Amino acid sequence: MTWETVIGLEVHVQLSTKTKLFSGASTTFGSEPNTQVDLIDLGLPGVLPVANKEAFYKAIRFGLATNAEINQVSMFDRKNYFYPDLPKGYQITQMEKPIVGTGSILINVDGAEKLINITRAHLEEDAGKSIHDLFDGETGVDLNRAGTPLLEIVSEPEISNAKEAVAYFKAIHQLVTFLDICDGNMAQGSMRCDVNVSVKKIDDKALGTRAEIKNINSFKFIERAINFEVARQIKRLEKGESIIQETRLYDSIKNETRSMRSKEAANDYRYFPEPDLLPVVISDKELEEIRITLPELPKQKEIRFIEEHSLEESEAKILASSKAMANLFEDASTKTKDSNLIAKWLVGDVSALLNKENISIEESNLSSVNFAKLIERISDKTISGKIAKSVLEEIWVSGNDVDLIIQEKGLVQIQDESILEDIAKKIIEDNPDQVNAYKGGKEKLFGFFVGQVMKETQGKANPQGVNEVLKKLLDT
Amino acid sequence: MDKETVATISYLSRLAFDKQNEEKITRDLENIIKFVDQLDSIDTSDIEPLKSPLEKTAKTREDKISAQNRKEQFLKNAPDANDDYFLVPRVVE
Repeated sequence: MTWETVIGLEVHVQLSTKTKLFSGASTTFGSEPNTQVDLIDLGLPGVLPVANKEAFYKAIRFGLATNAEINQVSMFDRKNYFYPDLPKGYQITQMEKPIVGTGSILINVDGAEKLINITRAHLEEDAGKSIHDLFDGETGVDLNRAGTPLLEIVSEPEISNAKEAVAYFKAIHQLVTFLDICDGNMAQGSMRCDVNVSVKKIDDKALGTRAEIKNINSFKFIERAINFEVARQIKRLEKGESIIQETRLYDSIKNETRSMRSKEAANDYRYFPEPDLLPVVISDKELEEIRITLPELPKQKEIRFIEEHSLEESEAKILASSKAMANLFEDASTKTKDSNLIAKWLVGDVSALLNKENISIEESNLSSVNFAKLIERISDKTISGKIAKSVLEEIWVSGNDVDLIIQEKGLVQIQDESILEDIAKKIIEDNPDQVNAYKGGKEKLFGFFVGQVMKETQGKANPQGVNEVLKKLLDT
Repeated sequence: MDKETVATISYLSRLAFDKQNEEKITRDLENIIKFVDQLDSIDTSDIEPLKSPLEKTAKTREDKISAQNRKEQFLKNAPDANDDYFLVPRVVE
């Protein structure tokens, strides 16, 4: 029997506003517990929420970048449930009139592009944090996160496998960081997602019963959780068992999904319009102002890189993949016309170092100023490519200035022909046997002489210069 | 209204009642719903739902920090807390 997987994602993006969605408390991550809490976040009686305009602007940026409808009149609703980290007993969210309507985003799986439709994106407040394992028999509650603005982005069930789900999540991650509406820090929970998974027989029109896997915050875990869940559902169905519609939890240590055993049947959120907040209206003028400040997006950058710098598509894709990478490329481009040289370094050595340590450019010691200088020193022939590699490695460790490293380690390339010639002459004198063999037709020995000069100069000789000098001395 | 529905509503609102009041509460709820159900006799299919009784739109805030750290005060007023956290009966097994 062949089965088809149907996946929909709900991605929660923490918007990078300074303050909360409805209060003037700070949203900084990692502060001492309960120090960023306002009366509104505590849900004390008699207080009224006031919406943060910046959260709307950030949500609209996302909407415009995904060609979505923007609801210029949007409303809030209450979602009612009890949990200790939700002091009011309800979450303020948008049910009926979300700020962002239907849009779409392009994903890329192994080179093939696919358009995924986005049903909606709405604003809501985050909950606080419950700490279960620190206190005997009690749960600790930290409300610093309570009220932080979230943009919940809901996809259509158009994702067909785990790989596409990861590609979708990555596309959203890339977009929100480019738009500067979220810091994209997965480890700090700035982006989390709920995954709805169901399977059906290929010929079936109707969707199968779905399970929702809650709160996954890494690319790797999304893929694993989906693969596990799909296999579990198929196994059950093939045994003639049914799928229960439920919320499941992904356990990354055991690599399995488990039922959360909540009283799902009784979970009725009883949404109703939020009486404490009036409709929020965004004017045409505001919308236009946001539109003109939208940055160049990855796809546009990629196309421009190919056109302006005549790069290969595969290179341009990598260079446009993150804001930091694009900045390195563009800053270095001001120092040399040789775009291919810059691309080669970024796609090659820099990417390799990043991958090796599995970090982003922002987390590395490489600044765009320093990288531009490195490229400048290669193209003005101060250092050779080989030396540049060791300079890059040194930057990776110390973050020191390129010129400082070159100076301190005495790495300046030897270009002076007379110096190179003196060294070459000495090597020719010292190796009469090889000279004779070379002149006798063993042309491969040329490499031997180049190697000797390089060794003598500790790699600092300009390779082209060495070639020329040796040719002159040996071939005449 | 059956007993099960009453039990569900009671659970959702985290309000308990004495068993002896069950009949009365069921009857009261039935009456309330019957009263409100009168609204159903009007055909509203062509009418846009009223979003807010006030014909006004929201004032919004600038994204500026205005709250100070009042942790001590807040924790002191909670039924149970330690130096850092509000404490509640453990909610997971």
